[in-house]
Amino acid sequence: MIHFEKFELSNGLTVIVHEDKSTPLVAMNILYKVGARDEDPEQTGFAHLFEHLMFGGSINIPSYDEPLQKAGGENNAFTNNDFTNYYLTIPAANLETGFWLESDRMLSLAFTEKSLEVQRNVVVEEFRQRYLNQPYGDAWLKLRPLAYKVHPYQWATIGKEVSHIENATLQDVKNFFKKWYAPNNAILTLAGNCSVETAKELCKKWFEPIPAVHLTERNLPKEPKQTEMRRLEVKADVPSDQLYLAFHCCSRYDKDFYATDLLSDVLSRGKSSRLYQQLVKDKKLFTDIGAYMLGDLDESLILIEGKVSDGVNPSDAEEAVFEVIEELKKGISDKELDKIKNKAYSTLLFSEMSIANKALNLAYYEMLGDADIANQQENIYNSIKSSDILNIANSILTKENCSVLTYLSNHHA
Amino acid sequence: MLNRNNAPDLTIPDSLVIPEATISQLNNGAAYVTINSGTQEVIKIDLVFEAGSAYSSHPIIANTCNRLIEEGSGNYSSAEIAEMLDQYGAYFVTEAGNEFATISFYTTGKFIHQTLPVLKTILTEPTFASEEIQTYKMQGKQRLAINLNKVDFLARRNFLNTIYGDNHPLGIMSKMEDFDLLNKESLLEFYHNNYRNKLRAVFVGGKLSPEHETAIKNLIEELNFKHSNTNNFSENKLLNPKTTYINKKDSIQAAIRIGKKMFNRKHEDYYDFTILNTILGGYFGSRLMSNIREDKGFTYGIGSGLATDINDGYFFITTEVGANVVNDALKEIYFEVERLQNELVPEEELTLVKNYLFGSFQRSIDGVFALSDRHKTLHLNNLTTEHYLNYISRLKNITAEDLRKCAQKHFEKASFSEVVVGP
Repeated sequence: MIHFEKFELSNGLTVIVHEDKSTPLVAMNILYKVGARDEDPEQTGFAHLFEHLMFGGSINIPSYDEPLQKAGGENNAFTNNDFTNYYLTIPAANLETGFWLESDRMLSLAFTEKSLEVQRNVVVEEFRQRYLNQPYGDAWLKLRPLAYKVHPYQWATIGKEVSHIENATLQDVKNFFKKWYAPNNAILTLAGNCSVETAKELCKKWFEPIPAVHLTERNLPKEPKQTEMRRLEVKADVPSDQLYLAFHCCSRYDKDFYATDLLSDVLSRGKSSRLYQQLVKDKKLFTDIGAYMLGDLDESLILIEGKVSDGVNPSDAEEAVFEVIEELKKGISDKELDKIKNKAYSTLLFSEMSIANKALNLAYYEMLGDADIANQQENIYNSIKSSDILNIANSILTKENCSVLTYLSNHHA
Repeated sequence: MLNRNNAPDLTIPDSLVIPEATISQLNNGAAYVTINSGTQEVIKIDLVFEAGSAYSSHPIIANTCNRLIEEGSGNYSSAEIAEMLDQYGAYFVTEAGNEFATISFYTTGKFIHQTLPVLKTILTEPTFASEEIQTYKMQGKQRLAINLNKVDFLARRNFLNTIYGDNHPLGIMSKMEDFDLLNKESLLEFYHNNYRNKLRAVFVGGKLSPEHETAIKNLIEELNFKHSNTNNFSENKLLNPKTTYINKKDSIQAAIRIGKKMFNRKHEDYYDFTILNTILGGYFGSRLMSNIREDKGFTYGIGSGLATDINDGYFFITTEVGANVVNDALKEIYFEVERLQNELVPEEELTLVKNYLFGSFQRSIDGVFALSDRHKTLHLNNLTTEHYLNYISRLKNITAEDLRKCAQKHFEKASFSEVVVGP
């Protein structure tokens, strides 16, 4: 349970405060409702590149990091398909430094050529380090366009290809900022040693003068229903085979989200889960296997990925996954249902241990519609029945709804 | 009119309070260290054993024993153990280093009575069934094969081998054949010698009711494990520095590791070196990051660190850079190392780093698990909170001259080993 207070500034910025006097610190989280799905298909990777540029100095402050570090603070950020999130933690006595820095970069960036040039290089190296120079690192880049034919989820946050990042211009960057970075497209949360009164006072001083912008309504193409299985085989210089199965499922907003999430838990949450016990421990067809739901804001995916044991034919391994799925459709015991609900409960508790996570959770649920959803999670999960989960399994865990990427080793050709 | 050019005033406290842990002794003499605080009904129990890789001549037995201890015990199969844990949302995190092995048990206040018996059975009667060893071998070999395709993994292990040699647990490079040597008998023997007979200490953190506290303490005392407090890990000799290039064809980035053997937390230069390391590569605004990432764009990340054990420690610089800029990156790394030996750190930068480290330390003791981890480090090193308080006071009074002296003493280029793995 995270208690909080919420208010809105005249420019549309939503502010949420969770006061916790037991810590000497405050976590400040700003979520901007823009992600990789909002990119031009010819300029992918832009939301993430932009996140890097947010640290290249703002309109009145040449450096973001230096003053924050000088105040004893630390920060980071991440971008995903749906939103971009910036967070910092700072000793409570210096909280105003956080307001000064975050409000200035919401107001406007410095937009220097030097910063753009350097961050283009940094992001290209990130692309190489995380996706291209790792065994199987590009699997996700190949799987997305297989599963999505029209929706922007067909590209990863890092972008479709390196050239999109290399070609970004300063004008593109400015346009992106103007369109998305505004108080009425953001949520600010504070968690820690900060009272609501202090928060109101500082918000009024630093954030309220920032003008709102006119937000254009997001109008993304809807992914048509998949009607037959899709396959892609990749051969590469990797030591063993891996298998990726992606099934379309509902969006995070859908009432079916919770049953779908529990469905992925039945498949693979914990070592006692069905996939791990049957396919790793009993049949030894995989050395590791997991399933998870992405939980995107638009229609999303359930993903199953497994490392095929050496000497096992990947198509046999794949068939065995479908056998586990078919068996699941026959029923889930009450004990199994209790188990995944208990697991969801403990995951929730452990996720609310740090002020930074509490700040992020509140911002995330506010983006979904109401920060208080954070506090309803346990009850919602508890209300799910096994028949709800089976209905979802029957409708989405089918071969027609599946995209299979087989990543093969060329060592044993 | 709001002036956005000027930074708000800053307050940096002169001192801080580190909450003390409650330390008592178990009936076998081992320390029992608890932190009772927090807002969430969660509990973490860390049992630390003298069961690291220094305790066996077999290169991977310590790790294997640590990983397999939860895979079946007494009359329960590994599936049943997993089932009992997942049923109540509890889990283990196990870790074996070169000195200690740790079994961490995470559970919730709501289900502590249902889950504690699982902790007891895995600790007292692990079976190490051949079936489980077989699965572990397959997993381990495949994981190693994948890692051997990663430039950063190759750089790290070759670097440690260069400074520690083939006979030190940190320097050993595991091979596929090591997995073939694993068997039930040797695992059971290692377990008896190093878990049952060498419990070093127990650390408990979380929101604990008196009833929880009693239940946990009773359970641990009922294990009847012997306590051990060894500190004489074999001292290894200093090896000659060397430069190694390893070819990994077709890689589009190269991994770089540079560094040397260093010292532990008790060394007289420990505090100064920690602060010096921060300036060089220990935070986002460090000199290596500012130069090699933020100015040149050669890398996604670069950093340096001091890794310490009870008796020992090493210093390292690590990065992955574009294959075409390896030499430029190396040149800049040494440029930054030498600059710290030759020039004084400007006051502005020094103040920033001091304030940053102060805040960073506050973060490191925030939250019950974080605080419990700090007390674990202190206790295992036979230190008290004074160690951290002295660090804070050194942070307040260290000067640019002190730092340059420290750099001159420890950053001599000829003392560094260098490993590059690239195309």
